Amino acid sequence: MSLKCEHIVKTYSGRDVLQDVSVEFQPGKIYGLIGRNGAGKTTLLSILTAQNPASAGTVTLDGEKVWENRSALEKLCFSREISGSAESGISAMKVKEYLRIASTYYEHWDKALEKKLVDLFQLDVKKKIGKQSKGMLSMVTIILALCAKAPYTLLDEPVAGLDVVAREQFYKLLLDEYTATGRTFVISTHIIEEAAPLLEEIVILHEGKVLVEGNTQEFLDTMAYVSGRDADVDAATAGLEVHHTETVGRSKGVTVFLRPGQRINESYDVTVQPVSLQQAFVALCGEGEKHEA
Amino acid sequence: MVNYTSNEPPNRAADAAQIRKKGSAINERLTEQKSIYLQIGEMIETDILRGILLEEEQVPSTNELAKLYTINPATAAKGVGLLVDEGILYKRRGIGMFVAPGARDKILQKRRAAFAANHIAPLLAEARSLGITRDELLEMIGETEL
Repeated sequence: MSLKCEHIVKTYSGRDVLQDVSVEFQPGKIYGLIGRNGAGKTTLLSILTAQNPASAGTVTLDGEKVWENRSALEKLCFSREISGSAESGISAMKVKEYLRIASTYYEHWDKALEKKLVDLFQLDVKKKIGKQSKGMLSMVTIILALCAKAPYTLLDEPVAGLDVVAREQFYKLLLDEYTATGRTFVISTHIIEEAAPLLEEIVILHEGKVLVEGNTQEFLDTMAYVSGRDADVDAATAGLEVHHTETVGRSKGVTVFLRPGQRINESYDVTVQPVSLQQAFVALCGEGEKHEA
Repeated sequence: MVNYTSNEPPNRAADAAQIRKKGSAINERLTEQKSIYLQIGEMIETDILRGILLEEEQVPSTNELAKLYTINPATAAKGVGLLVDEGILYKRRGIGMFVAPGARDKILQKRRAAFAANHIAPLLAEARSLGITRDELLEMIGETEL
């Protein structure tokens, strides 16, 4: 029982957007999908839900191929970002219409929840999609994701346009829904710091490949920030995989990634601190981004 | 310890927590400096120590804790599980988690045992780097009301 993709390759005009991506999403968990702009997150989510064909590889739900498989697709909901621009083709549609169409598509649509959320977000459903703000459109994608009641729900940047109060509301709503139903959620986000405590599992995509896949806490336990006098830091972290070195005079700070069995030599006079998911992500995926101290 | 604070990520959450050390520990804010599940366990312990949660009383469910802190319920369950393993909480099947009899004493013993490592060692390290002598330190402690 899981949503699984194996050896997915996606090529757009000669460029490999996804290169041999294999990920498994177990039921009953909240996953975070994180990666930089252009890492391939949206492409992966759309391939997982058969909205986009893969160039190679397979997607299965509980062992059955997802592509053109109605019974599998009914268990999946991909709530993608809505664009209000004229080219999107739905800019003239009222939000009310959009939600009505969604409600006929998703068999288990929760009408009462839809009403509750529209009221909570104070959404003007009579206004056309093209006239809604970015935040309002984020709310529409959240309403779709929560009301569809699909066993596997994938959200692409659900909080992108939301202010901090609305984001907090979303996290609470997500938890309400998750604790009540145990549905699986896959959430892509750039606001890592806020979402991290909600994510039991994480997948980090980097340049079209899976860089990290696993339990969030276990992943963070393999990383640490070591700082102190440069020579001491070098000695304490000798032989370890070091990322994101920062120096100020004789002082140095590095983020280390510990492989099984490796540890920091704490006999040197250094400070060792845990890193947050955001700090770990920046350390692993922000390389090449040189900056002056 | 020689630490160049310039390179350490700021710890504002922890600073704020210092100011706000009043009332229920369960209502404290989380910091980034420690795994969340450990903090959940410690907050429940602190509430038991302060008599906010009494022995044989039910503690908030993992779902309630998850919503309170906006964290994954699995993380809350891990924190509660630690206390169950230590005999501080126990499970009543189909009802929930309760504070075990003798839990307060157990927490007191545990925290006393860890007091030197958690509080005196960093105090001495700071004193050493400031050049405060043992006698000066003892004198300061003597002058400070407990």
